[in-house]
Amino acid sequence: MKTTLYTILLSSVIILSGCHDSLLNPTPESVLTESNYYNTSNDINLAVLGIYNRLQSRKPSDYQILEVPTDNLYLSANTLIEGTPEMDMLSVNATNPLIASFWEASYNGIFRANAVVTNIDKPTDYKEGERAQFDGEAKFMRALFYFDLVRLFGAVPKVTSILSVQEAVNIGRSPENEIFALIIADLEAAVNQLPSKAAIDNGRANKAAAMGLLIKVYVYLQQWDKAKIELDRFFGEFGSSFSLLNDFGALWKIASENNQEVLFSLNYIDGSNGHNLSTAFLPNSGVIGIASRGNEIALPSWSLHKKYLEDDTRKKATITEWWIPPNTPNVPAIWYPYVNKYAVPHTQGQSGLDLPILRYADIVLMNAEVLSHLGQYQEGLNEINKIRERAFGNSDHNYSIADINGEDSFLELLFLERQLEFAYENERWFDLKRSGNFEKIMVEEERLFNYASQQPVKIALKPQAYMMLFPIPQRQIDQSTTGVLTQNEGYN
Amino acid sequence: MSTKWLKTKILISLLATYPCLGQLSAQILRIQGKVIDEKQQPLIGVSIKDTLNKTGTTTDSNGNFMLSTSKTAHLIFSLVGYLNQTREIGNQPSLTVTLKEDISTLDEVVVIGYGTMKKSSVTAAVTKLENKNLDQIPLARPEAALQGRLAGVNVSQTRSAPGSAPLIRIRGGSGSIDAGNSPLVVVDGFPGGSFSNVNMNDVASIEVLKDASSAAIYGSRGAGGVIIITTKRGKTGKPLLNININGGFANAIGHNDWLGKDEYYEYAVKYQNREYNYVGGDTSIPVWGDNRRPPQYQVSDALRNNANTNWQNALLSAAPFQNYDLSVSGGTENVKYYASAIVKDVQGTLKNTWFKSYGARANVDVKVNKSINLGLMLNPNYTRNRVSPHAMIDLVKYPPFVPVQNADGTYPKARDFWGLVVSGQTNPMAFLDGSFYFDDAMTTIGEMFASIDLAKGLKIRSSVGTTIAYSTSDRFRTTWGSTNGISTGTASDARTINLLNENVLSYTTDFNDNHFDAILGASYQKATSRSSAMGAVPGSFNNDIIHTLNNAIIDPAQTRTSKTEWGLVSYFSRIHYAYKDKYILSASMRTDASSRFGPDNKWGWFPSASVAWRVSQEEFMKSLSSISDLKLRASYGSTGNFNIGNFDFLGQIGNTYYSPNNELANAQVQTTLGNPSLSWEKTHEYDLGLDLGLFQNRLTFTADYYRKNTSSLLYNVSIPAITGFTSWLTNIGEIRNEGIELELTSQNLKGPLTWTTSFNLARNRNKVVDLGGLTERLYTDRFGMSWLLRLGEPMFSYYGYNAIGVLQNQEEVNNTPILSGSKPGNPKYEDVNGDKRITPEDRVILGNYMPKMILGMVNDFSWKNFDLSIAIQASLGAKMYNFENQYYQGNVLGAMRRSLVEGQWWSENDPGDGKMPASALSQLEFQGNSSVYIENASFLAVRNLNFGYTLPEHLANKLKMKRCRFYTSINNLFMITDKNFHGYNPEGYTAGEVDGINSTPGYNSGSEPMNRIFTLGLNVNF
Repeated sequence: MKTTLYTILLSSVIILSGCHDSLLNPTPESVLTESNYYNTSNDINLAVLGIYNRLQSRKPSDYQILEVPTDNLYLSANTLIEGTPEMDMLSVNATNPLIASFWEASYNGIFRANAVVTNIDKPTDYKEGERAQFDGEAKFMRALFYFDLVRLFGAVPKVTSILSVQEAVNIGRSPENEIFALIIADLEAAVNQLPSKAAIDNGRANKAAAMGLLIKVYVYLQQWDKAKIELDRFFGEFGSSFSLLNDFGALWKIASENNQEVLFSLNYIDGSNGHNLSTAFLPNSGVIGIASRGNEIALPSWSLHKKYLEDDTRKKATITEWWIPPNTPNVPAIWYPYVNKYAVPHTQGQSGLDLPILRYADIVLMNAEVLSHLGQYQEGLNEINKIRERAFGNSDHNYSIADINGEDSFLELLFLERQLEFAYENERWFDLKRSGNFEKIMVEEERLFNYASQQPVKIALKPQAYMMLFPIPQRQIDQSTTGVLTQNEGYN
Repeated sequence: MSTKWLKTKILISLLATYPCLGQLSAQILRIQGKVIDEKQQPLIGVSIKDTLNKTGTTTDSNGNFMLSTSKTAHLIFSLVGYLNQTREIGNQPSLTVTLKEDISTLDEVVVIGYGTMKKSSVTAAVTKLENKNLDQIPLARPEAALQGRLAGVNVSQTRSAPGSAPLIRIRGGSGSIDAGNSPLVVVDGFPGGSFSNVNMNDVASIEVLKDASSAAIYGSRGAGGVIIITTKRGKTGKPLLNININGGFANAIGHNDWLGKDEYYEYAVKYQNREYNYVGGDTSIPVWGDNRRPPQYQVSDALRNNANTNWQNALLSAAPFQNYDLSVSGGTENVKYYASAIVKDVQGTLKNTWFKSYGARANVDVKVNKSINLGLMLNPNYTRNRVSPHAMIDLVKYPPFVPVQNADGTYPKARDFWGLVVSGQTNPMAFLDGSFYFDDAMTTIGEMFASIDLAKGLKIRSSVGTTIAYSTSDRFRTTWGSTNGISTGTASDARTINLLNENVLSYTTDFNDNHFDAILGASYQKATSRSSAMGAVPGSFNNDIIHTLNNAIIDPAQTRTSKTEWGLVSYFSRIHYAYKDKYILSASMRTDASSRFGPDNKWGWFPSASVAWRVSQEEFMKSLSSISDLKLRASYGSTGNFNIGNFDFLGQIGNTYYSPNNELANAQVQTTLGNPSLSWEKTHEYDLGLDLGLFQNRLTFTADYYRKNTSSLLYNVSIPAITGFTSWLTNIGEIRNEGIELELTSQNLKGPLTWTTSFNLARNRNKVVDLGGLTERLYTDRFGMSWLLRLGEPMFSYYGYNAIGVLQNQEEVNNTPILSGSKPGNPKYEDVNGDKRITPEDRVILGNYMPKMILGMVNDFSWKNFDLSIAIQASLGAKMYNFENQYYQGNVLGAMRRSLVEGQWWSENDPGDGKMPASALSQLEFQGNSSVYIENASFLAVRNLNFGYTLPEHLANKLKMKRCRFYTSINNLFMITDKNFHGYNPEGYTAGEVDGINSTPGYNSGSEPMNRIFTLGLNVNF
């Protein structure tokens, strides 16, 4: 009897042990894992879209570190975002959460691009041209992320493969020239592999965008000859495909967001895949016909505002001066200037307006810049005048050679034009830096303009040369082996 | 055959048996009798043994017995829970025996993991709470009844919404950062249960295994302590019907310092003038109707001409509740049953919130034969809950000049009266009336076991249990009840099936002075779940009448189903040995394997050992008659934690979106970095304890010291972002909880008036020991407050600037170390490092959300038929980050509280109390990151007062009742908090407790007021 029972007991234990595997090694039914991914061309396609997704989600907050610290924008008292006040007051330190998340988002984008580049040869079912396109897109996006990083932080870690944590803690910063070399190599690969804008979905990288970005890289490197070669190549190949849109305001309307001026833009859909930028600058009570609520995070600085001439169409397309509170539509409008560049009718916080990354106007103004550095001032002015003619609707405000006195004053006009043209498109911080005028201009910012007294509120700031590079996020330094990741000068 | 012969034969037989007959008439006695208890109640199943004649019987269901015995015999009467009694028979033909209850708690039986044990031989820190009238303290959740009753078991009611679960922390929790700190709940042997399915009426007792040596038998999940709930079971005898009915109402304990209309207007003007002054405006310009003043600095006349609404009082009202519980139990020798049903209906004090619950339970025990026992438990439970769409703060902060509702039934908004500055939020009553948020849950727990006696002392018990839980959640908002005028709706449901098989072989034996028992067991558990969700495209509802999603367009981005599962395999063993009931030793070993860990690290080992010495059993102690019991205990144990995601060790690919050509497209990205070596988080705990009983245990005292170190934390450690990720779940770091616990029970008075006091005290100190190489880690929220993990400090301490006053004027701003950008009216901060400026280096630890000490006291009185019980709880040393204060300080021109605005700095000439800075949203940056909103959350509360009257027995019997008790109960009768504490509830944290590295425990923005609950109840036994 006892023996029988023990036998039963023992055998049941053995049988139950057999179920160990089903209990302990279940297959995830709803989650893909790294081990069963990147196997088909469709996997790679979805992974490529994932790279765009990262920039798509980062881009709408870039203004917090690229416009707020400039003379274009100042913080409203209405909504507070941690880290922005330091940006606004030029007192950024290494623990600033905005630069921390910018760094993290950018390297996450680079990781997603590296995952595509690393696994690109795993699938065997590519249709013709697909492999080249995906590889080109990944490299274009990787170059874009690195371009942002190197411009903001200087030397940064160079990562082109999938890293383990153990490897990552020992990787330090690579010199700027190495990062630029990687960017150029990636962009050249992208130029060679990407189809034209017409041959690929809107919102995905294309050959013209890669070429345009390459021009920009050479401009930032001040390699004017190389920039000129790329510019000529661009005009040769795409001169007829791209042009300035007649109506500057139409660039910022959903109906005309995809146009002949946009080389590359991030696409959004109202409500389901939108961004916050249309809501961010609206007065808190909203704007009739646009949205019922705004976040009013930041307001246009008078320093910029005052520079727009009254008949510059860009003024109306960038700043609204007189605001009508939606719940008192019949009272006279009140002086309440706000940024309206992205103010399209939208679902709150979920705007569908596409955000351009590179537009033809930039190519034109970069051409002007390059020409001036090559001593061709008249040709350069002609380029600036193209932008001004579009802005004013006529040639009345064109510059002539008499308006300038050598390279410095040419560049002054050029950077003014860039400020007016690209206000709130995240160019100002870099342009302040590039123009060499950061310390001069940012000493004082005119912010709120009191319409009753006709006086602006002036804020004194203390810009210093070291601030032109942001600090390496302290969290990153802390995560790395001691001494591996060094801090930028001025932040220690 | 002749009759004569027959007669002769009878006669001969009679004669032959005569001597025997004679003997019988001399010695055999048929006696009958009754056994009762001290309350004159008949006792059923009392065993009666005749030691002389080796016969015996038991009492019947009326307590009666009949036995043939002899005059010289001794009868021994015994019943579990009563003192044995020996009686001589003598000549008496009938006998009434009164058995006294065995009040010695030392022989109380406590439930431990996989078994029971006499309390006297327990070697670990185990506390037991018996359900004596706890079911007559009406509470929506049974855990709340434990408040203040057990040392080291902190039950905090962090939220007051109907049906919301309290937070239970045993000895400070399991010391975990990412894997949860809640105790394991075991209901009738089923680990992984929940209080939410438990009806207090069904509870026989609740045991808490506090130290690791006792919890280690549940190894894998015992790190947060173990709570064992044992439900009632049937006993042999006539059916016992128990009816418990109660009802009453709850009253929210609100604030009483809201500014009324006139004061509000006055403050609004003051506030706007100060703001205007900040930007250099001329405050002599009239506040309204003068165009020279920018509109954002004006104050509408509506503020003084319009309504005078107190939103708190408008939204909260006395809320009725009712509970009906019925149970019947009984059984025969072979089949015993306990069955119950409950209906509960609790209205929330906040409008349109409520909780309803319907449950049933059946516990059946069957004795198949001498060696086989079967048991069946079935417990279905259904709850339905309507929840508020918003936290309290979003409701009560609304400005008073807005009427609750218009005559036409519409809801006015603040901006209908004043276009600028004031909140653009929807009317709070519209939120509550226009939101339909329902949560439904149906949970059925079923378990069956068979127990077979294999040999003397050797038993095997096998059980199969299931918990099947279905829940649905429906959310709908009307256009007028939403924040932005767009109707929204979602629907989701989830199903979890949890299967458990346990097999335990147990052996127990006594030889000479030795007692030995041992178990050997195997446990297999698997849980599979499926969830699905759908959502409507915002604004796509055809109307506000039909709330289900068939009235809208389904949004593909919100629609999904997913499945997941986990499994656990465990083997365990425990031996327990006692010599002369004096030296006791216990040791256990458990090994668990979890599917949640990497392939090579699934198994974890959890040993424990404990010893106890009952000093009072020693000969040399016998002379000290005042010491009735003295026991010293020491234990060590190891427990684990695996409360992480099911497939966290794998690098997962997740879905995201992009919109090429402005068309929504799926995208896929790797969302987590895998960690194939992920393994168990482990807690090692030492415990030293002392149990002392004095004066026949009239005074009992228990003291424990413990130290538990949780190491190999399942910690989402920060990693270099160049990996593509910011954090990585790994086993790193160590947290220590160390503390003392005291429990004192005293029978102060005996006799007609009895008075018993139970007092307990617990002190826990939490400390970060290791952070995987880092010395500290900070998480900073959007208004600048940081939560710090730093070596040597309690985890998640508040970290920020220490406010030491208010900057009074520009001169002071110029000459004081300030945070860059500070203005007059901003807080003045301590320049800790003395470098003449306020920089992040000047931040200091500002306190912690954990109480330093928790005290509890229960006093029970009884006199004649009256009884009274008072439960008091106190918590000392916890700090709360009461961020919600800022909403009541004027800065958004919402509702204001006098205590928060009157001390403020307004101007150099109106400097307030010198402590409270000026409040403005534009300035929050300058105080959210400081001690300004850190408040002392210590409190003393009379959690419950329960007063009962039991009908005298003869009256009850006339009404055919066995027992009838009327009672009244008041919960949260009284509470004292610090005079500078401004929240509704000192335990009301709205951002949860510790749940990952970015936790913000102690943060309060919108917890609900506590409720004072008045109850009348009736408990009848038939």
